Order: sequence, then C-alpha cells, then structure tokens
Amino acid sequence: MSNSENGKPHFAGPVEETFAKILDYYGIDWVYEPRTFPLEVDANGNLIEAFTPDFYLPQQDLYIELTTLRPHLARYKNRRMRLMQQLYPDVKIKLLKRRELRDMLIKYGLMQEAEPIQGTQAQLREP
Amino acid sequence: MSRILPPDFGELSPDISEVLFTAEQIQARVLNLAAEISAEYRDKNPVLVGVLKGVLFFMADLLQALPIAAEVDFLSVANYSNESRSQGLVRLVKDLETPIEGRHILFVEDVIDTGLTLNYLLRTLQARQPASLEVCVLFNKPDKRLIDIPLRFIGFDIPDRFVVGYGLDFREKYRNLPYVGSLKPSVISGKPGK
Repeated sequence: MSNSENGKPHFAGPVEETFAKILDYYGIDWVYEPRTFPLEVDANGNLIEAFTPDFYLPQQDLYIELTTLRPHLARYKNRRMRLMQQLYPDVKIKLLKRRELRDMLIKYGLMQEAEPIQGTQAQLREP
Repeated sequence: MSRILPPDFGELSPDISEVLFTAEQIQARVLNLAAEISAEYRDKNPVLVGVLKGVLFFMADLLQALPIAAEVDFLSVANYSNESRSQGLVRLVKDLETPIEGRHILFVEDVIDTGLTLNYLLRTLQARQPASLEVCVLFNKPDKRLIDIPLRFIGFDIPDRFVVGYGLDFREKYRNLPYVGSLKPSVISGKPGK
C-alpha cells in the first residue's frame, strides 16, 4: 500500500475509496492492503504468486477483497480465494463480488457510484 | 422448491420476479417468534426497539402476537448517502423516547445484511447500560455479513438478493407488498428488461 501526501491510501479504484468512506461513516476501523499472503513459491523459495486483500477490519479480524469484475471474468480472483482458504485456513476473508457491491451502493442511494458496475451480466443470478 | 410467481398487487406486481415468502409464511413465522420471545421475556416488561421505516409491519405484527407486557419505541438513523456523508459519522435522526438504563431491550430488525448500521446502533444502546440487549431479525442475510453480531431470534435466513415487501423498500417503493419478493434486475438498473 502507498499513501498520498495527506496520509490517505492510494486506492486502486473509486469503489475501494467509496467502501472506505462507508466504513468510516459507520465507525468501523480499517486498514488498506496491510498484508500480502504468499500463494506460490518456486523450488528456490522465490515468490511466484501472492495475494493482497484490499481491506482488513481489525475489530472483526476480517480481510475483505472487493471485485468489480463480471462473474465470468472473476475466475482468477475466485482461484486466489480458494488458495487462500487452503493455505491460510485460520485467516477470515470475504470476497465482495460485483453484484454485492452494486447492491450495497444502491442501498445507500449511491446510484452514480453504482452505475459503472450496473452491467446486465452483474445482475443475472447464477442458477 | 418451485418458483412462486407474485400474486396480483396492482401496479407493483409486474416489478417482482419471484415471491420468496408469502404473507401466510411470514405470519406463521412471526407467530413462532412471538412465542419464543414471550417465553424468554415473561415478567421482564421488555422494550422492543425498531429502526424506522422498514420494521413497521414486522413490529406491528410481532407486538400483536406477543401475549406479555412489553413497550415499544423507535429510532431513525441517517444511512450513508451522498447527502449524509458530508456530515461525518452516522447519526440518529430520531432517538428513543424511553430511558433504557436497567431495562431489557429487544432490538427488532426487518433485515440484516452487512451489519454496519446495526453494529453502530447496538454500540449506541449498549452505552446506555440496559439490563440486557438482544436482537430479533425477521430476514437475515448471513452471506452479506461484514460485522459479526449475535442474533438471538431469527425469522428466516435468506439468499443474497435484493428483496422488497413487508416493509422492505427500493427507493421508498414496495414496502406495502404483503409478501417478500425479489425485484426484477431491470427495475434495479432502471433499464428495460430484455
């Protein structure tokens, strides 16, 4: 994670920034990208793949990863979540998917923020 | 389980894709909850606290099915929005009129998803030192929970869908549906369905 001059993190995108503002509003402590979890190393111990969840909520001991990818493009992220569960079973982590984020933004009346993740595919439910 | 199509309810029905709980199913579950709550709170004269406006129907039906002495009070909270966020932290728009120190409080919620609002409200009420503080929720969305909150009484666990009716709204509409159903995606997006 990198911080801007005013001490706030450089968020990866507007959805992450909005999510942080919602947590602030409800008085929930959070840290942005505080920890990177190695997922795969080669025979020499060199890191091949790692995963840095977007948020950590200390009071909940919970990591949160946000994704605005459409469901059929989210396989890579889903695979990383599966690896996380296998390699770090004691770490609590939650993936907030595109539709969940959209519903959250709509719930709070943030229609403008929800618009970029309003794609038709995002609203179709898996059977 | 077969899909239940919405019964006619005037101009609102066409916006509903599926009924998740009929009015009869809801009423039956409310009666069961009232029986559980009565057994727990007999002779304790609890204060049932609800958050406006979604809890309106549930609170009314629950109270009428509760054969014990109980009081009721309501809160209203400014949820996060473009208008409220400029004022900083979440705040109560309407506070309780009942002093709750030393009282048994049952917090009655229509629906719980992330738990962000409920977590704030429970912390606020806990600071007033009630004798006990428990939560009763009619519709629980466990898959959406971000904040772990102990729930003493649960009506239904429901899937992660945008649901309306029986007090639940979308842009202040659909609260008066007697059943709970999921909205058509085209209604949520504001774009005509294909």
